[in-house]
Amino acid sequence: MALQPGSNTAVAVATPEIHQDTTVKWFLLGAVGYFAVVGIIALIIAAKFVWPQFLGTIPYFTYGRMRPLHVNGMLFGWLLAADMGLAFYMVPRLCGVKLWSEKLGIATSILWNIIILSAIVTLLGGYQKGLEYADLPTPIAILVVIAWIMFGVNIFGTILTRKYVQMYVSTWYLMGTILWTAFVYLTGNFATLLPGMTGVNQANLNWMYTHNAVGLIFTPAGLAVAYYFIPRASGSPLFSHKLSMVGFWSLAFVYVWTGAHHMLHGPISQWLQTISIVFSVMLLIPVWAVVYNFIASMKGEWHQLSDNISLKFLMSGTIFYLLTCFQGPMHSLRSVNAIVSKTDWIPGHAHMAVMGTFSFFAMAGVYHTIPRIFNTKLHSEAAANWSFWFFLIGGLGMFTSLWLGGFWQGLQWNDPTIPFIDTVVALKPVWIVRFFSGIMIFSGIVLFMYNIVSTALSGGQAKAEPARS
Amino acid sequence: MLRKTDSNATLFIVAALGLFFIGGLLTTVAPPLLDKSWSKPFENHDATKGPTGKLVDYTEQEKRGYAIYIREGCKYCHTQQTRTLLSDVKRSGWKGVDSPVSTPDEFVYDYRQTFGTKRTGPDLSRVGGKYNKQWHKAHFNNPRDLVPGSIMPPFPWIANNEQELDDLVAYLQTRGRSKDWRPDNDYEK
Repeated sequence: MALQPGSNTAVAVATPEIHQDTTVKWFLLGAVGYFAVVGIIALIIAAKFVWPQFLGTIPYFTYGRMRPLHVNGMLFGWLLAADMGLAFYMVPRLCGVKLWSEKLGIATSILWNIIILSAIVTLLGGYQKGLEYADLPTPIAILVVIAWIMFGVNIFGTILTRKYVQMYVSTWYLMGTILWTAFVYLTGNFATLLPGMTGVNQANLNWMYTHNAVGLIFTPAGLAVAYYFIPRASGSPLFSHKLSMVGFWSLAFVYVWTGAHHMLHGPISQWLQTISIVFSVMLLIPVWAVVYNFIASMKGEWHQLSDNISLKFLMSGTIFYLLTCFQGPMHSLRSVNAIVSKTDWIPGHAHMAVMGTFSFFAMAGVYHTIPRIFNTKLHSEAAANWSFWFFLIGGLGMFTSLWLGGFWQGLQWNDPTIPFIDTVVALKPVWIVRFFSGIMIFSGIVLFMYNIVSTALSGGQAKAEPARS
Repeated sequence: MLRKTDSNATLFIVAALGLFFIGGLLTTVAPPLLDKSWSKPFENHDATKGPTGKLVDYTEQEKRGYAIYIREGCKYCHTQQTRTLLSDVKRSGWKGVDSPVSTPDEFVYDYRQTFGTKRTGPDLSRVGGKYNKQWHKAHFNNPRDLVPGSIMPPFPWIANNEQELDDLVAYLQTRGRSKDWRPDNDYEK
């Protein structure tokens, strides 16, 4: 039973593999850089809610062009790139072999950078495709598909040549990510453009993609990271193999049905709305199975939270995961949806998933791996600790202000005697809190980047203790 | 059975994709086959069956305006759906007349869906005919001149470009017009 990643040493070779990790370095450092660059865009967007004239008369910096850049930049430039980099780190170690091809990995990283840089230029130029999350113009989307195939070949190539026969949970989740993403991405970016795919047809495919971009790309990739690094960072085994199977296979079945819950009360067939509600509520099964497993794995290890930066991010991410995935099924209920849908509650919810949960997991992984692959120590434990508190307090400020504001906004909308503009003016205090929370989060990003880059630069100079893995 | 997938990658791939495709196909391929209103343009001339009217395809000018709407990311703040909620019907209404709810057959010619997920500004599914071109020009130039407290960005590069302004306004005036819902036919141009 492979309860500790890479611990099934029954078949392990006498000499541990020497991992080159060049691909990991390229992906992680690139991701951290984009995190900061896109963080600036996020701040500009938050500022525009408070000062609508800010950068307002320059077409390239108008809100409608910067928002897709913020979304795509954070999702693909930072989070997916970080998850891919961590996959390149985890899979060879879980399989007991070297990465299938380091050259292919580096080529993937170069292509990924081309994708992100051209996305920045085209989105600011207004060449967006006009489909949420699938905003990248088609030529760039084709490059994403090519990069994904290169990534998949490398990871599956490593898995198929593995020395450890039994695969650890993280390996399942990464394989699931690669397979599902392929079809989810093709649906959102290409099937939506087929002849006849207009209006509600296109929207249905678009929401299938948007929802599963979170549910079947970032969720399994993020959980792979957490399943690997919680036992690694705490040094204690995973609580239950069986529970991890329940979580994985119920996710595989349940998630894809729920896309239409983005159109509740909207112009889409009522029966399809009902199906999406039923499956949205069933999502509690994979989520609670995973969260219970993570929490139970920490039994007797909680004291480590005080001085283990990776565990801080992992455990707060777990709590945010529990919360965000309780919100999700609840807003799928028609009565709740009638209040919160389309309000500022929704970005509060989405940021808790993508930032509070999956970016926290990814940062935990980056803080854990960077010192090890550069064969050194983390540049500053204190700065890492500060970055955590900036993220946590800034994040909580943003989430709670948007939830309260959004709920209040929804209640106002439901009273049609209140003019719409009054409901806009009423939210100004909320947007001010969100902007200052954003400054805190951005400070966390800057500290994170400074620490990671300094660690990487010091690599090889100081002879640290040999990396554990 | 699933326990075997722990050590058998091929079996794993088959199971992971198999479970995914059940829901994937049933929620994407099946619905448009079962609900014909998704791809059949709206047309009704019998007032006893609900709102009357007919959906026609976009003109070349309206298509250019539609492209501007996409280019500027308008849908990130404006939804285009009058939902089956009393408040939506009232808010999309105009001068005391309630708006009909949005139905799938009104969007058959939309090559980019604009339903939206966030309503930072008001819904636009019934904006067609509510304001004239002069209003839109002034509003695009600086929304706060007409609506104090608005946080909509200014779009001077559209307001001061006669061609783009005409195109975009032409597109906006189509919103909600397939359902001929104004009893007095009091649509602005």
